[in-house]
Amino acid sequence: MTMEFSPENKKKLAEILSRYPTKQAALLPTLWLAQGEFGFISQETMEYVAGLLDISPAHVYGVVTFYTMFHRKPPGKYNLQVCRTLSCALRGSESLLDHLKKKLGIGENETTPDGKFSLCTVECLASCGTAPAMMVNQKYFENLDASKVDEILNGLK
Amino acid sequence: MVPSMSLILTNRVGQPESYTLQVFEKTGGYQSVKKLFSLQPNQVIDEVKNSGLRGRGGAGFSAGLKWSFVPQDTGKPVYLCVNADESEPGTFKDRLLLEDDPHQLIEGIIIACYAIRSHTAYIYIRGEFDLPCQRIRSAVAEAYAKGYLGKNIFKSGYDLDVTIHRGAGAYICGEETALLESLEGKKGQPRIKPPFPAVVGLFGSPTVINNVETLSALPFIINHGAAAYRRFGTEKSPGTKLFSVSGHVNKPGVLEKPLGYPLKDLIEKDCGGVLGGKRLKAVVPGGSSVPVLNAQDVETVKLDYESLMQHGSMLGSGGVIVLHEGVDMLWALRNLSRFYAHESCGQCTPCREGSGWVDKILVRFLREGGTSADIELLKDISNNMMGKTICVLADALAMPVLSYLKKFPEDFAAHFRGKTAQAQMHVL
Amino acid sequence: MIMTDITLTIDGKQVAVPKGTSILQAAITAGITIPHYCWHPGLKAVGNCRMCLVQVEKWPKPVASCVQPVSEGMVVKTSTDEITKIRKSVMEFLLINHPLDCPTCDQAGECRLQDYYMNYDEVPSRFAEEKVSKNKMIDLGANVMLDQERCIACTRCIRVCQEVAGVDELTLANRGDHTMITTFPGKKLSNPYAGNTIDVCPVGALTNKDFRFKKRVWFLERTPSVCPGCSRGCNIEIHHEELKVYRLLPRYNPEVNNYWICDEGRYGYKFINEDRILRPRILEKNISHLVSSDEAVDRLAGLMKGGALDEIGVVANAQETNETLQALADFAKTVLKTRHLYFSRREVENPVSDNFLMTADKNPNQAFVDKLGFRPLSTLKEVRGLLVLNSLSPADMKKVIEKKVPILGIWASNENPAAHSSAVVFPIPTYAEQEGHFTNVRGLTQKITAAYPPRGEARLVSETLEELTERLQTNARSYTQNSYPLSPHL
Repeated sequence: MTMEFSPENKKKLAEILSRYPTKQAALLPTLWLAQGEFGFISQETMEYVAGLLDISPAHVYGVVTFYTMFHRKPPGKYNLQVCRTLSCALRGSESLLDHLKKKLGIGENETTPDGKFSLCTVECLASCGTAPAMMVNQKYFENLDASKVDEILNGLK
Repeated sequence: MVPSMSLILTNRVGQPESYTLQVFEKTGGYQSVKKLFSLQPNQVIDEVKNSGLRGRGGAGFSAGLKWSFVPQDTGKPVYLCVNADESEPGTFKDRLLLEDDPHQLIEGIIIACYAIRSHTAYIYIRGEFDLPCQRIRSAVAEAYAKGYLGKNIFKSGYDLDVTIHRGAGAYICGEETALLESLEGKKGQPRIKPPFPAVVGLFGSPTVINNVETLSALPFIINHGAAAYRRFGTEKSPGTKLFSVSGHVNKPGVLEKPLGYPLKDLIEKDCGGVLGGKRLKAVVPGGSSVPVLNAQDVETVKLDYESLMQHGSMLGSGGVIVLHEGVDMLWALRNLSRFYAHESCGQCTPCREGSGWVDKILVRFLREGGTSADIELLKDISNNMMGKTICVLADALAMPVLSYLKKFPEDFAAHFRGKTAQAQMHVL
Repeated sequence: MIMTDITLTIDGKQVAVPKGTSILQAAITAGITIPHYCWHPGLKAVGNCRMCLVQVEKWPKPVASCVQPVSEGMVVKTSTDEITKIRKSVMEFLLINHPLDCPTCDQAGECRLQDYYMNYDEVPSRFAEEKVSKNKMIDLGANVMLDQERCIACTRCIRVCQEVAGVDELTLANRGDHTMITTFPGKKLSNPYAGNTIDVCPVGALTNKDFRFKKRVWFLERTPSVCPGCSRGCNIEIHHEELKVYRLLPRYNPEVNNYWICDEGRYGYKFINEDRILRPRILEKNISHLVSSDEAVDRLAGLMKGGALDEIGVVANAQETNETLQALADFAKTVLKTRHLYFSRREVENPVSDNFLMTADKNPNQAFVDKLGFRPLSTLKEVRGLLVLNSLSPADMKKVIEKKVPILGIWASNENPAAHSSAVVFPIPTYAEQEGHFTNVRGLTQKITAAYPPRGEARLVSETLEELTERLQTNARSYTQNSYPLSPHL
């Protein structure tokens, strides 16, 4: 089956394209659309997007691997991204990460066997005043400690 | 008429639904626009020049002067790019402005675009900012619906389109030319300068890149004039600045203070002092990239461009990271070296290779202990990185390395081989 | 005359260069070498390697000379202690993650890292950490092998694909010290100029599958020549040792091919080494006999004297040099006095051409063939025999067979169907073994030089034609053409 955007995303893409003088400029927005619809950016997706924007697949690949937020493999249903940079580290992000590893039984950049949780670290989320912080998929959780994290995990079905 | 309020940027912060157009307009929002369109663009530039407003992204370049570099005779469109890629460790003030007062930013965008004769603005917002992105998106939609953006805004005859462009996870895109590359659908690799973006920027056209905080200060300046703005701050560093305070303080958060405000007061009075009543050890005053201050520096330094420079550091983004006596500065430095090694775009040799090298040495130092030769090597690598690359990411690692080594040599000496017991001290 | 409007000083030397020139190029004009990796004269400057940093008086920071345009009165210093230290440090940075596998690296001997190491590094390594490991053997296709660990991320190969071949097939993936050159996963290089990526690679990251592990480059001699692969006449260098060609590289000529050649030309050298005709021979009762050159000339003269000389046709070939073609034309007109002047040429199925270097005419010298008035062999009239240069195209061969015209003699460097059916065969040198000229599609006449003497008993066509002329004018024994029927190869 060949890959194709939903009619809704095709409309969105057209709107996006109207905002830029070049098609290439729409690359990041288009990859976001694709990740939203397909869950991750596969090689097939990269080739599809390259075709849509008249750019080379190699270029798309370079871009996808440059930015950290494009997943080249499907992450777990809940992607736990723990901030590891200084302000969070000063407020205990290292032990928070250890807690999560123990609790989920997985290491960094791993996914639980049921595909529910992925765990990774990320650099500064601009959540330093509410450290430590983590991002679950797109949502920020702040002022965390072990018990708060447990509560959050319990709430994720 | 100068209002009695003491704040310029954060008056609406914390107010219920401050991000809505309704609340914004009720609290004086979009008032500057009427005045704006009665001025000539050059008059706007002059007003902002006179206000002394300096770029709040980190470099601190005069905003009005930056605008005046835009040529108006190229026959190409002029672009405004809003730098909302706030990623400097320890900095979270633009996030606040985006979440709590997005219309103030839009008002600032309107002013800046009018001044530089731009009809197209892009807001480049970091990919992780989901809520801020939603807020600015709905604010832009509200503004379009009201005729504040789009064709003939405020019935002034002026057209202005604003597009929100999401990044996807790359610190370097906060560097203005990397931001342009990223906006053009490429890797965020900084460009060679010259040409400067004001002349050859986005899509090869004249472009101004301004930080969220810089633009958010504009409505005040147009409403109340340059002189009113200059009542805040110091002679050379006028106005207020947002300080993001994090780390070991009792009450972290974003604080708006006039430039020249004592750092010690910020920590002691505004942020409730050092966490757990511990002794202050160090402060990173302007985001992780600037040289560190020790407790002695903090006694006297003021939060403005000049005073920080005198103390061997920089105002940077105003990201104030406070570290108490329990912190091992080697551990703290390694945390940052990992960051810069991870974020180096990989373009220039000294940064690509040097950042990873520094990080590996520090990791070894932490795990196995190091030697005085390692210290000399770290200094030499840093000097070899500094000022040798297209952008300043290399400097942003080199400066912390050199300053941590200089100001806290005992923390490194504690990790010399044979002293592994002490090396366990780590953090907290 | 070039408009020179900027005057600057580099290391105390005054230089005048056109506006827009980079400091690095101005330095070249002044005879000053500034070391560099990412800058290549044929590609857009990107300024990423930082090896070419120089100091400009009154400027706060060193600048990348490859991207910094000159300005009036600029005072540039390229050899201060600070600059030397920068170069040393860039060398050190480039080498910390480099595998230092020079003994097994094919770039050894023409590697910029090796070259500059002697000038700017030569200190013991201070790197005590683990190197970043990457993939050391990736077949990128098109004979290009990639070793990501040796790569210094200069992006020359990316730019060559984009700017020369006009395709975007290579990219840098990842960032920081994990940055690596790659194609789109699973894709191969598919552009016909891919070989140029190997040439521009300043280190051993991209090597030539066709050449690697065959020869250390310092054993190779280099001879300037012109590519015979098509009518463009790209300037090349033949790299050879003793009587063998190992590779062809492009030779800079801004009028023709700049710094580049196509892969078809690059790998079109095999015939020089293989399947050569090295000794004269004659066909007798369908059996080929090696003979001396004298015997061969005698035999051909005899055959030709079996009838009227002006009933013999000659077939030139667009593969041969101006000199050879001229000798044949002269012979035909003054000795044979024949009107039957034909030509054949190398024809390939579906010839690739583009609007850059490759032409559809896969012969280096059609222009000179046309100039001398040779006509296509398809117009062949009644003749009693043919003298052929080089070979016949399949269509021409078919025509000759149909017309039952015997090939009396052929001058050829390589085995081919026409040679197999020719009564007399003279070995001749390939273009790599002779001096001469080719006239390209735009009428430009370019010189080729001999890499080494003709192999075996190969001799120039003109030499045997002279001897033949002598023999024809004496009373040598004559043969009837019926004695030599067409060979079974037909």
